[in-house]
Amino acid sequence: MTAYILRRIVSTIAVMVMVGIFVFLLLRLAPGDPAAIIAGKSATAEMIAGIRERLGLNDPMPVQFIRWVGDMLSGDFGTSIFAGRPVLELIAQRLEPTISLSIVTMILSVTVGVSFGILAAWRAGGLVDRILTAFATLGFSVPVFVIGFFLIYLFAISAHWLPVQGYKPIGQGLGPWFVHLILPTLTLSLAYIAFIARIARASMLEVLSEDYMRTAAAKGASSYAMLFHHALKNAGAPILTVIGLSFAGLIGGVVITETVFNIPGVGRLVVDAINNRDYPIIQGVLILVSGLYVLINLAVDLSYTLVDPRIRY
Amino acid sequence: MTISRRNLIKMGMAAGTALSMPSVLRAQTEPTAARTVRMAMGSDLTVFDPIFTTTDPTQIHGLAIYDTLFALDSALKPQPQMVGKWAVSDDKKTYTFELRDGLAWHDGSSVTAADCVASIRRWGQSGGQLLMERARDISKKDDKTFTIVFKEPLAILTDMLARIAAPGPFIMREKDAERPFTEKVTTNIGSGPLKFNESLMKSGSSYTYDRNEKYVPRSEPSNGLAGGKVVKVDRVIWENIADQQTSLAALQAGEIDFISNPPADLYSVIESDPNLALQVLNKSGDDFCLRMNFLQKPFDSVKARQAILHLLDQEAFLRVAAPDPRFGRPVTSIFGNSTPYSNDENTGWFRKGGDPERAKQLFQEAGYAGEKIVILDPTSWAAAHAASQLLAATLQKIGINAELAPSDWGGIVARRGNKGPVESGGWSIFITTDPDYVQGDPISAVFHNASGDKAWFGWPKNDEYEALRGKWADVGTLEERKALAREMQRVWWDFVGDVRLGQIVSPIARRKTLTGLIEVPGFLVPFWNLRKDVA
Repeated sequence: MTAYILRRIVSTIAVMVMVGIFVFLLLRLAPGDPAAIIAGKSATAEMIAGIRERLGLNDPMPVQFIRWVGDMLSGDFGTSIFAGRPVLELIAQRLEPTISLSIVTMILSVTVGVSFGILAAWRAGGLVDRILTAFATLGFSVPVFVIGFFLIYLFAISAHWLPVQGYKPIGQGLGPWFVHLILPTLTLSLAYIAFIARIARASMLEVLSEDYMRTAAAKGASSYAMLFHHALKNAGAPILTVIGLSFAGLIGGVVITETVFNIPGVGRLVVDAINNRDYPIIQGVLILVSGLYVLINLAVDLSYTLVDPRIRY
Repeated sequence: MTISRRNLIKMGMAAGTALSMPSVLRAQTEPTAARTVRMAMGSDLTVFDPIFTTTDPTQIHGLAIYDTLFALDSALKPQPQMVGKWAVSDDKKTYTFELRDGLAWHDGSSVTAADCVASIRRWGQSGGQLLMERARDISKKDDKTFTIVFKEPLAILTDMLARIAAPGPFIMREKDAERPFTEKVTTNIGSGPLKFNESLMKSGSSYTYDRNEKYVPRSEPSNGLAGGKVVKVDRVIWENIADQQTSLAALQAGEIDFISNPPADLYSVIESDPNLALQVLNKSGDDFCLRMNFLQKPFDSVKARQAILHLLDQEAFLRVAAPDPRFGRPVTSIFGNSTPYSNDENTGWFRKGGDPERAKQLFQEAGYAGEKIVILDPTSWAAAHAASQLLAATLQKIGINAELAPSDWGGIVARRGNKGPVESGGWSIFITTDPDYVQGDPISAVFHNASGDKAWFGWPKNDEYEALRGKWADVGTLEERKALAREMQRVWWDFVGDVRLGQIVSPIARRKTLTGLIEVPGFLVPFWNLRKDVA
């Protein structure tokens, strides 16, 4: 197990090096000039040239790359071209909203999604299954921003129950924090509930048709014991995989929800940085997100041993 | 302990109290909602130094926390702001300025003449180059007095020191202003009517300005950017809400009080809400302008440029860029519609519907042989994107090989600096805007420069026009300037330095409880004088 974890961590570093090279080249080869953007629409060529020189953007690409790698190795992710603040500080400021939104969304999605999946599989072909399957299809089909604006209209503008937008840090009180997360969480969860429910249903259906389930039923096992003691454990691995991938995807994929609900998270940070060609921020966020993605995958792989003792590393 | 109903209630109350403590404590130290104005400014504030950049958000930030020596009143006349008394010598070469009493930095120290000298010198490297070229000496005489001595008279000095066009001549502390203009000032310590609250800054999300209680406003009533800058609320919060639909929903729900740039398709929604109002603060708006690359075919030929001038129908462009006819109108003067120098000299080319036949003939006379015309198309800027598409279609209709080069704004600003042919990543045309009122200042308005390599993107060149423009700073009276403006415009429309596509005015949206917004030309939104009535 230890050797396996070490191997995976080494491979994580290799992946991040490749991501780093790819991101650096992609940004430099894409059209765009941060100096021209920072100088403004009406800036003269002299102003832009002065800023470009000051930012070191005239240096040859290999020099810029070596400087960046050197800084990264010493733990310095660079400084934002626009904000003039350390990239890590900016990312840290934006992590709380994104992680809050992701965790609350995952808790809701897993709880509801797995329950729906089990229920649909247990009543396969029946009315409940059809309703839940229709709900899952709807969850997949309707774009996030449509759901978001619909919920805003319903609960914020018409009913005045919940705020339209914004985020309150948890340090400012659990109540305001939670109230500001309700609509974004509902919006974001719908697709994940649908996704997890479908996988859970398919996985459970497969297990429920196994011989040992028939044997358990013949021996008079209760529905609860059959579903939760026998079936769910064996159907757990694929569900865990989906949950892990969903969570990893959520961290980097909450951009639209963050935009619709004006949540200052990592997603919006990176989109703004792309529009501004703020290279250090884009590079820093992508490196961190890719690292996180790989680590979450590792955690998911390791968790298989908990649900299925046959799996060994 | 047994779990009784009484214990359960006690525990619940204790937990509720504990959880609500942070917000209760915060509420006790924060101004009330009625004394706080929340404004969705339509963009993020990424740079805080208004001399370093020309971007609109930074200039608005500068206006809030810094002060200026002079300021434009509502008639666009410069009036003393930080200056108490000033005089000019008989030979018009030496200006003496004395600061008014009560000026202090947000850190508590007094504003001195040395601060002003350093600030003028720094601004002179970016926005005030003419001043620096003409100045022989800028120096302080005592703590409150400084002089500017010119090699030759500069009649427009106070206009320059009051100008709104970015970068504005904001006064900073000497130690900040000693930095080169290519190096950002990040201290945010000004002497203006509002103080930047760094501790509440949420980068990318919101920026907080508190009333500067120690600010001493001028005694005159507020008049444009001039007069007394009286802050009537405790706090102004700049909200960066990326999505315009979300901004409107927040405005409707009363979470914010102001939106700086509501999209035109939502005007009807705003006007139908009894709590909301549209208001035009910037009555002169922006002029849309089509820049052509003078260095490359076919627009190195004056005939091809004249073809564009005759081809385009401004009203068609206005329909796509500003669909609501209340907020757009044609502009035929290079001095805009709203400035005192606007005139109709040499505007016979203007024709409703354009003149495609004349344009075809002119392209032929230019020797146009099917060369590709690349139009930079900013997809992230709805109005310019629509105008670029219409332009491409209009050119294609008369047989011109026009092609759109779509990109976000970041891509456009990088590519527009390329002077090479289109095959090497260059360009032929791009559409942009500049405030209409700025066109009345041909010294600093980028569109007016026709000095070739030193001109703005497109690099128009015409020596006769430049000779006339060179006289602008020395012409003393309004009537003389008006005459000069006509002469400049005659030459401009002959060599076609650029082509104007119309003037567009953009209203802001506000809750009706927010009043006192100052109408200012350009993009600026002053944060003083705002009042919020309790609903």
